[in-house]
Amino acid sequence: MKMTTKIVQNRGLPTPSRREVLKYGGTAAGIAAGLSMPFVSRAWAQAVEINMLAWYGHGEPDMVSEFEAENNVKFKPKYYAGGDNMLGLIAQSPPGTYDIILSDAEFVQQLNDAGYIEEMSPADYNFDDMIYDDFKQFPGHWKDGKLHSVMVRFGHLGVSYNKNAVTAEEAMSYKCFWKPELKGKVGHFDWHLPSLGMMSLYNGNGANLWNLDDGAWGKVKETTMSLRPQVGGFFDYGGTFNSLKNGEMQAMCGIGDWITGVLEKDGAPVASVVPKEGGIQWTESYSIGKGSDKADMVKKFIQYMLSPRGQVRSAQMAAYPGFCITHAGVKALQEANMKEAERTGQIDGAPNNPITLVKEGRIHYRNIPQQQSLEDWNDFWSEYKNA
Amino acid sequence: MTIDPKRRFDPYALTWRMPIIVWQVLFFIGPLVFMIAMTFFLVKNYRMHEAFEMKNWIKMLGRGFFWDSYFLTLGLATLSTLCATIIAFPAAYALSFKVSANIRRWAIFFLIIPFFTSYLVRTFSWYVILAESGPINAMLAYIGLGPYTMLNTKFGTMVGYMTLTLPLVVILQTVSLASIDRSLIEAAHNLGCGRVRTVFTVIVPLAKTGLIIAAVFCFILSFGDFVAPYYLGGSKPPTLPIMIIDTTKSGQQWPRAAVVAVMMMVTLFTVAFAAIMVAYRKKT
Amino acid sequence: MMDSERAIKWFLRGYVVCLFVFVFLPIIASMVFSFNSQRFPTVPLGTFTWHWYETIWQDPDVWDAIKTSIIVSSCTSVLATFIGFCTAYTDYRYSFRFKGAFLALALLPPTIPLIIMALAMLAWFARIGASGEIWSVIIAHTVLTAPFAMAVIRLRLNQIDPNLESAAWNLGASEWTAMREIILPFAKPAIVSALCLTAAVSFDEFAVAWFVSGLNKTVPVIILEIVTGNIDPQVNAIGTFVFITSMTLVIIAQILIMTREKKDAPA
Repeated sequence: MKMTTKIVQNRGLPTPSRREVLKYGGTAAGIAAGLSMPFVSRAWAQAVEINMLAWYGHGEPDMVSEFEAENNVKFKPKYYAGGDNMLGLIAQSPPGTYDIILSDAEFVQQLNDAGYIEEMSPADYNFDDMIYDDFKQFPGHWKDGKLHSVMVRFGHLGVSYNKNAVTAEEAMSYKCFWKPELKGKVGHFDWHLPSLGMMSLYNGNGANLWNLDDGAWGKVKETTMSLRPQVGGFFDYGGTFNSLKNGEMQAMCGIGDWITGVLEKDGAPVASVVPKEGGIQWTESYSIGKGSDKADMVKKFIQYMLSPRGQVRSAQMAAYPGFCITHAGVKALQEANMKEAERTGQIDGAPNNPITLVKEGRIHYRNIPQQQSLEDWNDFWSEYKNA
Repeated sequence: MTIDPKRRFDPYALTWRMPIIVWQVLFFIGPLVFMIAMTFFLVKNYRMHEAFEMKNWIKMLGRGFFWDSYFLTLGLATLSTLCATIIAFPAAYALSFKVSANIRRWAIFFLIIPFFTSYLVRTFSWYVILAESGPINAMLAYIGLGPYTMLNTKFGTMVGYMTLTLPLVVILQTVSLASIDRSLIEAAHNLGCGRVRTVFTVIVPLAKTGLIIAAVFCFILSFGDFVAPYYLGGSKPPTLPIMIIDTTKSGQQWPRAAVVAVMMMVTLFTVAFAAIMVAYRKKT
Repeated sequence: MMDSERAIKWFLRGYVVCLFVFVFLPIIASMVFSFNSQRFPTVPLGTFTWHWYETIWQDPDVWDAIKTSIIVSSCTSVLATFIGFCTAYTDYRYSFRFKGAFLALALLPPTIPLIIMALAMLAWFARIGASGEIWSVIIAHTVLTAPFAMAVIRLRLNQIDPNLESAAWNLGASEWTAMREIILPFAKPAIVSALCLTAAVSFDEFAVAWFVSGLNKTVPVIILEIVTGNIDPQVNAIGTFVFITSMTLVIIAQILIMTREKKDAPA
């Protein structure tokens, strides 16, 4: 088990010592593994399968292998991008298809209204240890005093930029996306909600960024359209990653440290900040799929993800890192990887401490549009892309 | 050939005839017809409801950007067809007339190989190769040029289309050129017809059918490909296949995606039909 | 005159070489990247590593996908080859009314863009309550690959002496016996190559499989997921593996065709 953990953590670049090990031990290990094939047997054996619906990466070995080995289960992930995509995937599958659903917090209410998720017992989860009171009662997670979803991680979205093209001061405002030098070098993460939310913040809508009357919504559309000539492309997760890394894009709208954090660790000159107009918080929560016959195991997994062990994994997730949400998790992260804790401000008194930012009112929880429908936003996004 | 015309019911014949009919009706015609029907359905709360409404058609065809995307896709696919046809022809010519049959066979074998490598993986390779920090720009920098932006441009899209179509076009062109009767070319030469003139007045007309079929396949493949315009063209702006995927993903709007798909099919059939009419038209 | 002839010949040869470089550059580059230590390859390359192969080796999801792909492509190849054989034999032996329509129905699928087939299949399977099942992928792939099987087998049947079958009937063999004793043995190499070809096509197809596979992901769907997700050279490692698998199948098919040609050559 130790070995696996180590390899997973080394996912970026193999160290020389590991190459040496490989050189001498590779063949022998290969033959031995070939004979026993532990991974094949885990994949092909009749372990209990848990169907997971999540953003990319949550079902990868670095997140689940420890839990899988301890409980003799096997996660079968299906990945989506964006809440509308997630709701569509559930709607097209027979009830009970997904045992565990990771959703963005703003979509929990819709999941619940559609009857896609089970009620959960609050006593099963350690809410007392959460680092911020809001998270214990996150909007939409409780309905009529009943719990339906448990928040496990979060992160902040703002201006993501290449340090060689944008200065730290410039990055303190969304205005930098319009910088003439960035023409054709500004990328979008291809989902309407975060990008349009940022445009709304840039327009000065502040805490009302999702609650736009017709006039304000029209202005947001106008602002967004004016950015179009700067845009070099619309990217999915992988494209966002690659184009920031290889310098094709010098600034990226709609993302945050969840992308640049991984790249920074890889040595790329990129960073994300929460600009003065404010940033957006993404929040990820686990729910139990309606009609799942593995609810007990799913509960156990959510408990695991909230435990310090799970929180440390989540904070260093290979696909994209997220902040710890329990005191014990933060402490465990500081012990396990102080550098990462410092980089992300997860130490007391750090100026970029995520909770400090929230308390200062600079961070707004991501939400769905209040006065328009998701479809309106979606339609506008298509129009924008095609402009 | 030797069937007894009096026998009305022939279990033996039906055994061989029925499987494809049953299978294609159930799983080929069925889905396509259902997709056409689906364009009239409605979606509420991410679920599809059977209905007969023109809303999706009005919504999709009434949007300016649909037509922008439509003509963009049409233009890109046409450009891709022209590029592939022109780039492939000298190679097909060389393989047909300038090398031995043995080399030709090997060449075709090697051109088949790409079909068995993942197109996605090949595209990802281009992604790295064409990047501003990639090998091509590094080489250009060596001779004092560049860097050039090749990704997220139409050029990138075209490279992707060529990766997909060029091997097939070269194969089909080579096969049709190689089957031309050599004595006709000899005759043209003996009558003092120059090389270039021979190519355009003798070889191209004789191989016309094969050349057009190759072009039609190239058009179909480019028109329906989402990988090249998405990953190498930065989806800027999106082509119709990308629009199908986007629409399917966002809020389960399958009926609207189906409208796009039906429009694509109508276009393809029109183009293919016209091309085949030209290909088989008797020369008068 | 002779010099320009030679110049053109060499120019054309050079041109062909350039074209092959364009075709093979991405394939070879992908193999190189799969052994390169950098997560995002740049020039100059990093150091040699087995890391990406190790990663996929240890990823149960990849093994799961390999298992799914093996099941899908083997079932597809058997079904598609069976249907292709039936159709090829019908075309070879019978002429009947609406034969043109019959052949069009059989050969049409490759002319429909995959993305359209994918959407149509997805909606259709959801309608008949079969979405996300492993056999949804098998059915879809069979539709896509049967025409290839038919083409390969039909070409082989062209070479059969048409009198052979009727001679057998005259000697008292039933149609079924003649099929078993004459047609099938004759078509056997083509059947085997059709099996390999359809299996290889199915093993590589990603658009339709992506739409209809649900949780039963095949190898190309995993590749697509890594490309759209946490992109890294695992893609190249898996790609190289898929390439080797597919090529093995194709080479087997090719060898069978070659030996068949040799055998037939004197006649």
